[in-house]
Amino acid sequence: MDIDLSSEDLAFRDEVKEFLDSNAYKNGEDYNAWRLNWFKLAREKGGWDVPKWPVTFGGPGWTPTQHYIWEQQTAAAQIPWDLPFGLSMLAPVLMNYASKEQQDRFLPDIRERKVNWCQGYSEPGAGSDLANLKTKAVLADDGSHYTVTGTKIWTTLAHIADWMFCLVRTNDSGKKQTGITFLLIPMKQDGIEVKPIITLGGAHSVNMVYLNEVKVPVENRIGEQDKAWTYAKGLLQHERTGLAGISRSIVALEKLKKQAMTVKRGNATLMDDPAFRAKVAELEVDLLAVEFTELRSLAAAAGGSDPGPESSILKLKGTEIQQRVQKLTVEAGGIYSAAWGALPVGHKFAKGGMSGYLASRAYTIYGGASEVQKDVIAKNVLGIKKSSS
Amino acid sequence: MNFELSQEQQLIQDSVARFIDDKYALEARQKLVATKTGFSTDHWSTMAELGWLGLTVPESLGGFGGDQVDTMLVMEQFGKGLVLEPFVASTVLGTRAVILGATQQLKAELLPGLLDGSRQLAFAYAEEQAHFDLEDIVTHAKIDGTDFILNGHKSMVQHGASATQLVVSARTSGGQADTAGITLMLVDADSDGIKIAGFPTVDGQQAAEVTFDNVRVPKSRLLGSVDEGFDLLMQLVVDGILAVSAEAVGAMEVLYKDTVTYTQQREQFGHALSEFQVLQHRMVDMFMEYEQAKSLLYRATLEVAQSGLGALRTVHALKHFIGKIGIMIGENAVQLHGGMGVTEELRIGHYFKRLLVIDALFGNSDFHLQKFAA
Ligand SMILES: Cc1cc2nc3c(=O)[nH]c(=O)nc-3n(C[C@H](O)[C@H](O)[C@H](O)COP(=O)(O)OP(=O)(O)OC[C@H]3O[C@@H](n4cnc5c(N)ncnc54)[C@H](O)[C@@H]3O)c2cc1C
Repeated sequence: MDIDLSSEDLAFRDEVKEFLDSNAYKNGEDYNAWRLNWFKLAREKGGWDVPKWPVTFGGPGWTPTQHYIWEQQTAAAQIPWDLPFGLSMLAPVLMNYASKEQQDRFLPDIRERKVNWCQGYSEPGAGSDLANLKTKAVLADDGSHYTVTGTKIWTTLAHIADWMFCLVRTNDSGKKQTGITFLLIPMKQDGIEVKPIITLGGAHSVNMVYLNEVKVPVENRIGEQDKAWTYAKGLLQHERTGLAGISRSIVALEKLKKQAMTVKRGNATLMDDPAFRAKVAELEVDLLAVEFTELRSLAAAAGGSDPGPESSILKLKGTEIQQRVQKLTVEAGGIYSAAWGALPVGHKFAKGGMSGYLASRAYTIYGGASEVQKDVIAKNVLGIKKSSS
Repeated sequence: MNFELSQEQQLIQDSVARFIDDKYALEARQKLVATKTGFSTDHWSTMAELGWLGLTVPESLGGFGGDQVDTMLVMEQFGKGLVLEPFVASTVLGTRAVILGATQQLKAELLPGLLDGSRQLAFAYAEEQAHFDLEDIVTHAKIDGTDFILNGHKSMVQHGASATQLVVSARTSGGQADTAGITLMLVDADSDGIKIAGFPTVDGQQAAEVTFDNVRVPKSRLLGSVDEGFDLLMQLVVDGILAVSAEAVGAMEVLYKDTVTYTQQREQFGHALSEFQVLQHRMVDMFMEYEQAKSLLYRATLEVAQSGLGALRTVHALKHFIGKIGIMIGENAVQLHGGMGVTEELRIGHYFKRLLVIDALFGNSDFHLQKFAA
């Protein structure tokens, strides 16, 4: 055990820094062109456009330490926006369970950020209890396609998605977990209607998706019919790992500290306020710990495939920390945090503070609500058996 | 000691509760939020007709002659509907400032309009550099013959853009954070040199930034005496704290009750959510803290009604607790509703947002804990 970065790691860190610096977005540049070019250049570095992908699929094959360095550096730098749905959630399922043909068909577009994917898991009656999903898919007699009918809810960015990966029910008999199938469905077609759901603070990111007798070719099924529960759960673990956002929280907290130093309180600043300072310090302590919890789990999982139930610990701790950072940002904004929209004066950072905080309330709900994640840890990590259910 | 309401108080409470039932379903409220003024002038007239705008105006001056306890009863009901009309700004703070500080002549001029709702006041006290310190005032007024000349900037003036007059705290002498040297005055919203920029707040209400550029204010518009306005300022803020705390308690009640109802209706894993013990305990925590908040509210309100600023310490305790617990109950209500909790469609999110704003008004939870401990 030691904490030093090797000379290779230090060299790697410099290389990442240099890459991020020299390819940062320049004001006035065409954003989209910059974005696509950035991914192209990252690819030429040897899979830096897909850091988490295995080497066999073109990933960089980094050590856990290198991943950590990448996370740290990219959290503080300006990198192009990216969505997790195709890259981090669907791609591992395709790599593990799809046919070679399907991999060749879908992975390149995901890698080149050419298509947007959305996640059609949740339904009105199937939230935490995902296996309760009812969207029905019936295989045609000739076996050529499925006809899909049902309602998905909370589908993030369905309104800009080209494709949806979707869990459907193909079998009603037996346990709920059996009888689920994984389909890839193009979004722009008859029979699919997307209706916005407006969330706290007026944002539109989630949707209802109504599927009405949508025909899906059987080639779009991943893996076997009725057997998708395993694939679906593996995907959720990848989703959770991505939601912890630890490096981002570290950067956000540093930014908040700087901002709090601009908030005057008498002859001092808000950072000199003992109550505020203590809350910042508590967050820093938690971050010091959770950063190493993540590193330890990365190290343990090195070489392994799915992250396992430990992903629940990181998700729980990471999202809670993100929420606390957001809450402190609101507190630091004082009365100005209450303003909605343009404000003539006041702390500049107060403006995004409240909407960031409100959005963060969903972090402990999606990707597996906290209460249910704790059940997962109790059962799968602590080995506690429940008498009922 | 007695926590029973008098017959008169019961009548007020019932009539406000009826008003909320009739007028303040979520959909109706959100329609008002979307209008330009952000509230209903019809409701405002109704409040005038029912005598609520004169709740704490002495009977001799045409009011109901009530005190902070009566305001509490009204505000708690208002909190259950998230009322949008400028009752706190104009009645609890503005009219009260007039009653406590204006000359007989000024009262005679203002009160008829305040009681019938045609005149509307706002309270401009907060400043950017002050964080939450009331006495930290840079806006200043200089005497010039029979006028004051007012310069400076006030922030987050609740309902500032629809007000006809503003109650303004200004420095007339002393250093930036001295309690001596503060003067309150009444300023016409259409005075030369005044700029009022209104904007919405996250809870669907309205506020304004106000700039004074050599605004002339006749000495006859003074509230209280020159340089000695701090006590009056404190009295108003204390009344404001009691009012929004009562509103918060009403909002908390809606949040915990809606959560209990929802978790009994929603099923996952073949069980109502309310059957899961971890959720039961969470809801019991919400309920217990709500009860504690209500106790502190009663305690502070009764103490202030009896001994005014002598009860300041309890007021600090109250505002600390309301901020902390309001957010705790709001966050849990959202969490226990799952995805539904973060939608604008359910009412709980709106109550939560109001509680967030209430925490920021008149000093947040941390600020008041420090004042309490000092
Ligand atoms: C902003 C946002 C984006 C989302 N994006 C997507 C998306 O792109 N694709 C998608 O498929 N889904 C998405 N979701 C859905 C998300 O995964 C669900 O909201 C989540 O699984 C919780 O389900 P629910 O909302 O039905 O809450 P419920 O399952 O009804 O849970 C409500 C409350 O009950 C608790 N609870 C439930 N069961 C138990 C139990 N057994 N024991 C104790 N407590 C329990 C929960 O923890 C929660 O607090 C999104 C949700 C949100 C809010």
